[in-house]
Amino acid sequence: MSDSLNSSDKKELWKSLQDYNNDPESLKLKHNEFLDEVTEKFDPEKISGISRRKFLALLSASAALTATACTDYRDKGEIIPYNKRPEEVFPGIANYYASTCNGCGQACGILIKTREGRPIKIDGNPDHPINKGKICAKGQASILDLYDPERLHDPLYNKNVISWKKLDDEIISSLKQTTSNGNEIAIVTGLISSPTTKKVLDDFVVKYPNTKIYSHTLLNDEQRRNAWYECYGTYDYPAVKFDEANIILALDADFLGNEGSSIENMRKFAAKREVVGKTDFNRLYVAEGRMSATGMMADYRISLSPTKQYQFVTALINELTKNGSAFSLDAAAKSKIEKFQFPELNSNEKEKISHLIKDLNANRGKAVIYAGDTLPKEVHIAVNLLNEVLGNMDIYDYSSTSKSLVKQSTQQEISQLVDSMKNGKVGVLIQFDCNPVFSLPEDYGYSSALKNVKTVVTLTEAENESSAAGNYTLPINHPFESWGDANVRSGVYSLQQPVISPIFNTRQKEAILLTWLSGDSNSYKEDTYHQYLMNNFNATIYTKKNPLSDAKEFWYSALHDGVVLFNESSQHSKFNLAAFSDSKEINQVNDFTVHLTESYFIGDGKFSNNGWLQETPHPVSKVTWDNYASVSPNLAKQLLVEMNDLVEIKVNGKSLTLPVLVQPGAENNTINIEFGYGRTVVGVVGKDVGFNAITLMSKNYSSSPFIYENVSIKKVSGTHKLASTQEHHSLDDTFVKDIHRKRKIIQEGTVEKYKKEPNFLHEEKEKLFSITTEYQYTGHKWAMAIDLNKCTSCGGCVTACNVENNVPVVGKDQVLNGREMQWMRIDRYYSGTPDDPIASNQPMLCQHCDNAPCENVCPVNATNHSPDGLNQMVYNRCVGTRYCSNNCPYKVRRFNFFNFRDHFADAYYENDLTSLVHNPEVTVRSRGVMEKCTFCVQRIMEARSNAIRDGKELKGTDVVTACQQACPTTAITFGDANDPDSPIAKLRDHNLSYHVLEELNVKPNVTYIAKLRNTHSQEIL
Amino acid sequence: MSTVDYTRELSVLDTKPALRELDDLISKPLETKPNKKFYIALSITLSMLSLLVIGLGLTFYYGIGMWGNNNPVGWAFDIVNFVFWVGIGHAGTLISAILFLFRQKWRTGIARFAEGMTIFAVMTAGLFPLIHVGRPWLAGYLFPYPNQHSVWVNFTSPLLWDVFAVSTYLTVSLIFWYVGLIPDLATLREKTTNKIKKVIYSTFSLGWRFSNRHWQNYEMVYLILAGFATPLVLSVHTIVSFDFAVSIIPGWHTTIFPPYFVAGAVFSGFAMVQNVLIIVRKIFNYEHIITLDTLEKMNKIMLLTGSMVGYAYAMEFFIAWYSGMEMERFTFLNRALGPYAWAYWIMITCNVVSPQLFWFKKIRRTIPVMFVIAIFVNIGMWFERFVIIVTSLSRDFLPSSWAYYKPTYVDAMILIGSFGFFFTWILLFAKALPVVSMAEVKAVVEGAQPSHKEH
Repeated sequence: MSDSLNSSDKKELWKSLQDYNNDPESLKLKHNEFLDEVTEKFDPEKISGISRRKFLALLSASAALTATACTDYRDKGEIIPYNKRPEEVFPGIANYYASTCNGCGQACGILIKTREGRPIKIDGNPDHPINKGKICAKGQASILDLYDPERLHDPLYNKNVISWKKLDDEIISSLKQTTSNGNEIAIVTGLISSPTTKKVLDDFVVKYPNTKIYSHTLLNDEQRRNAWYECYGTYDYPAVKFDEANIILALDADFLGNEGSSIENMRKFAAKREVVGKTDFNRLYVAEGRMSATGMMADYRISLSPTKQYQFVTALINELTKNGSAFSLDAAAKSKIEKFQFPELNSNEKEKISHLIKDLNANRGKAVIYAGDTLPKEVHIAVNLLNEVLGNMDIYDYSSTSKSLVKQSTQQEISQLVDSMKNGKVGVLIQFDCNPVFSLPEDYGYSSALKNVKTVVTLTEAENESSAAGNYTLPINHPFESWGDANVRSGVYSLQQPVISPIFNTRQKEAILLTWLSGDSNSYKEDTYHQYLMNNFNATIYTKKNPLSDAKEFWYSALHDGVVLFNESSQHSKFNLAAFSDSKEINQVNDFTVHLTESYFIGDGKFSNNGWLQETPHPVSKVTWDNYASVSPNLAKQLLVEMNDLVEIKVNGKSLTLPVLVQPGAENNTINIEFGYGRTVVGVVGKDVGFNAITLMSKNYSSSPFIYENVSIKKVSGTHKLASTQEHHSLDDTFVKDIHRKRKIIQEGTVEKYKKEPNFLHEEKEKLFSITTEYQYTGHKWAMAIDLNKCTSCGGCVTACNVENNVPVVGKDQVLNGREMQWMRIDRYYSGTPDDPIASNQPMLCQHCDNAPCENVCPVNATNHSPDGLNQMVYNRCVGTRYCSNNCPYKVRRFNFFNFRDHFADAYYENDLTSLVHNPEVTVRSRGVMEKCTFCVQRIMEARSNAIRDGKELKGTDVVTACQQACPTTAITFGDANDPDSPIAKLRDHNLSYHVLEELNVKPNVTYIAKLRNTHSQEIL
Repeated sequence: MSTVDYTRELSVLDTKPALRELDDLISKPLETKPNKKFYIALSITLSMLSLLVIGLGLTFYYGIGMWGNNNPVGWAFDIVNFVFWVGIGHAGTLISAILFLFRQKWRTGIARFAEGMTIFAVMTAGLFPLIHVGRPWLAGYLFPYPNQHSVWVNFTSPLLWDVFAVSTYLTVSLIFWYVGLIPDLATLREKTTNKIKKVIYSTFSLGWRFSNRHWQNYEMVYLILAGFATPLVLSVHTIVSFDFAVSIIPGWHTTIFPPYFVAGAVFSGFAMVQNVLIIVRKIFNYEHIITLDTLEKMNKIMLLTGSMVGYAYAMEFFIAWYSGMEMERFTFLNRALGPYAWAYWIMITCNVVSPQLFWFKKIRRTIPVMFVIAIFVNIGMWFERFVIIVTSLSRDFLPSSWAYYKPTYVDAMILIGSFGFFFTWILLFAKALPVVSMAEVKAVVEGAQPSHKEH
């Protein structure tokens, strides 16, 4: 305006304001606010493209940028970028990439959640036909390994950093020299589940013909595979349709725990434990020497030494062929069978076995007998025969057989390798992402023989026993930084893609071999293996599938889905009866037996340095950070030992001293020890945790590498405290016996009773009323239901919660002090007798009570209730009086007694790298603050904002909590209790639903569905 | 035994000292230089106090994790000590206010000291609510003050009531004590020759000139303050007991708690006053002022309150059984038979059995025996709070969460240190102010009061 005034020929001078204001020119100007000139000139096209809004956005963005630049944070560049730039990345919005889990040999499909370029959580890939969107605790927690500060940063030669090029040159020349000398090049690998890795190895053998490949995994399914081969002529055994079996007999088989495809098994098993709309239950018989996770789920459980399994199975065959069978046995088989009687049993066990025989007879073709991986081949053969006798062939799923890409090396093969090593005939030994020094039994003499090998190359993510014994240590990418594929089941091919570029100076393990294969250290490129994988994919999968799309498009769609499915079915072949007739007979042993099984959470020691897994309570004993000798209450009495007392176990001259855990239900003479513990060369977390049970193993086992006889056990002085998250009471203690049933914490029934009286749970119940007016929830009201029929206590929910909610690792000393921080726990209660206990599991988390007793006692209002029914914690406001925790009847609140971020192992997890694992949506709590389950409020908020964005109403089913998402059996349901059509509302009204400690009238919002036991009785005890 | 003449009031003091002598005797510790014994005593209490300082330093630096508290047992030594010390304070107010209203003249010899103990005990107790929180630097959130967050405290929380109850108690006790001191300060002002002391005494005696009007106003104010303080004797420990009674934990959720806690507080308070006075009267030669009769009367109160506490223990068990609730029954059986049975039986022996010896007059009047019994009572009352707080929490509703609590060395340091804190104050008090009220004692000297006979 002032410009326009000046530009007009208005007189410059004026005498008074009136003069000025009444000037006709200026009046005119006033009238037309914008001069013609101005409006003409105004062209939105011409002015700067930056709108005011955009300007402000830029301003704030640049301010933010400046602010960030001023902080200590160093953007190293290589941490954040994507390997392949995704099309859409929005800050604050997670991206998910399909990949394949490398935790064990099952190669489950996973979805990796990344935020701003960093992987923060692992979920199952819903498109994967085997694990269907679920993943076990190990798979979920493996995200922590990616950010393990003790991963190797650079290649090492005798502990000194060496460049990749120099190392490649040296090794290539060694390889060439060895080849020319005619000496052996040995590659020792773990389980190979990738066809492309196998191809790399095959190519390697072609290039260096003196190469031999050895494969060794501690716990493997070789016994089952070999038995299957002898019975049916193929190593590829079919999956079991547990969802179609009415009767399941598990023989020392932890198929719901950590054996085989447990995620798949759990899902299928739980399908016949559904109580909504039907009660078509299967019946689970378990005969086992230890107490396994599967044993806890049993309807009938028989304590049976693993050495008596053979006798037990043949006696069963005998019993079930007495009245004729569709499957005809020849004379040899018959005479063999007739030799065996059931082992000596008490009346209780006799009754169970008579039920079992009756059930198996009545369910021919609809039952399955399943033996465990640790049992000898002969038992597996007998079990195969028993399944034939019962005509259970349709329970086998031949469209999904377990493939064996590289067969496990036999005892002879490994002994030969060790001999050649000793004789100096091995020029180069490559330990390919495995740890044979730790996992091979001592009497192979592998580690001492290593000294005679000139070049020992170890490809590993972190230092281990094998790398420490070798000279070249090559750091390899974590699986989340790697390309890969897997084909362990027929008809399922899955892809693995990197979600972050290598954090350290590491290389893809296959690319290292490919470089050596090329014979030229310069040939290495970052995408060496990526190209190789794509080529192999095109050559095998693309041509096999032969889709309409072109190769590139197909590759991308396969990467997107993470899995390619095709039809690859086989047929049931005829049973070779000679396999049974000619097999060795296994005589029962009445003496002590050591039964070695794999750790539930740290596997064969692979996850030793993972604090989350070390701290996940054992599904049965609830012990963390240790292994132990699990003995029966009777044996403990004989030995005069209690929990924590040390015992010395001797097996054929080898001895191991470790603490005792008194395990109700364990067979009297069976001592169960889990292996995977006792690592010596490992990071700070896993070092010297537990006891190495592999020292008891021998290459000269009698029937199975996991079962040893000639055992002596004696008490030695001293104790070793086991950090259990639950107190261990003697089941005989009348003072606390069955207290969980008296208090109605655990309410159970039997299927028989439920069929007769569907309302049995609610018959004696009185309606509780409140003396005050209750708050009316008119909008959403969040609630959860947990079906105890389905919970196998696998711990998947606990780990999911840890990862989602940034739950810290506190360490063994703090667990011993009762200060574990997990928001979710799985309580385990025993009833019955010590010899024949009934185990009940109950996931326990904040119950988000309507009348929450924690809320009214907080003096500062730090915990309060949301209008949608959440019990909230305001960390900022919390002063930490702990009154809320005292007053919580469920004791689900967790107090930060220390700053647990830096308290564990000298701030092991408090560093720039490990902090990247945190979920940015969840506050990282500090010292002195109370915390607890939030019902994943961050997920509720995300679902709400999505609903608002889409203009839709928020539905309860839009929210999936982390525990619910992880539960392999879908035992957990979450949603809006006020939505009458929602699954949660139906479960809350289910006639098996109950609340824990109902009579307190705190009105919890976690509903438990009472467990039904499928026994022949109406009573549980 | 000679017959007692009930028509005539018994003399409070053993002899009939001259009033001047009384002044001199009582003010003697103030006028003499501290002797070696005093320094030895002070060095002991200061050493104990330094344990508190170190213990708190460790706690503030590392966190509550330095203590033994764990997940089910969120409160342990911290709140045990708090309740214990608040309880100790109760005897003082009872003696100075309630016994004053009931015209119990024998209280005069011990009232001042008991009041001082109240203040120091409440100060010691007041430490614990502040230090037991996880983030002590935010303890200010416990007070209702206007703030920019517009967040108010939660008035339904008994812990907040505690804040009010304890701060009110401390304020009223302090004023009551100070008002009682005014005439004595004036006496000291008159006596002293030291200039600095004179200024201090002059300032704090607020211009007291022993005039009749002053005495009249003084008596009225003292009476009113006694009236104020009396309900506090009942209310403070009632509210402290609400910390537990209002919760839902079996063993805490008990309606008997308010009277039971008050009786227990008076019980332990008298035991502590008795213990300390036995030492004080010996050291300062107050045997004639704090007489054996007075001590015997205190022992009688201990017998009464000890029996009340014993009754409460029995009644808790009965009600637990009578409620028919499994968890209540279990909690009480668990106290007597569970892993903390040792603590329970220490409590029963010390609190219920030992004071019953006071039925014997001989024991009531034998100083070494009563001294030991009162120590037992203090131990027992500390364990009573331990039993209530720790055993109830360690085994509550869900057996899966049960855990055994074990204190750490820091817990021990803070417990010992709290005694150091308390006794340091007591020592300084004994040396800085008259531990017996000169004005009041003079009023109970035989012949000081008008009587019908000697009219």
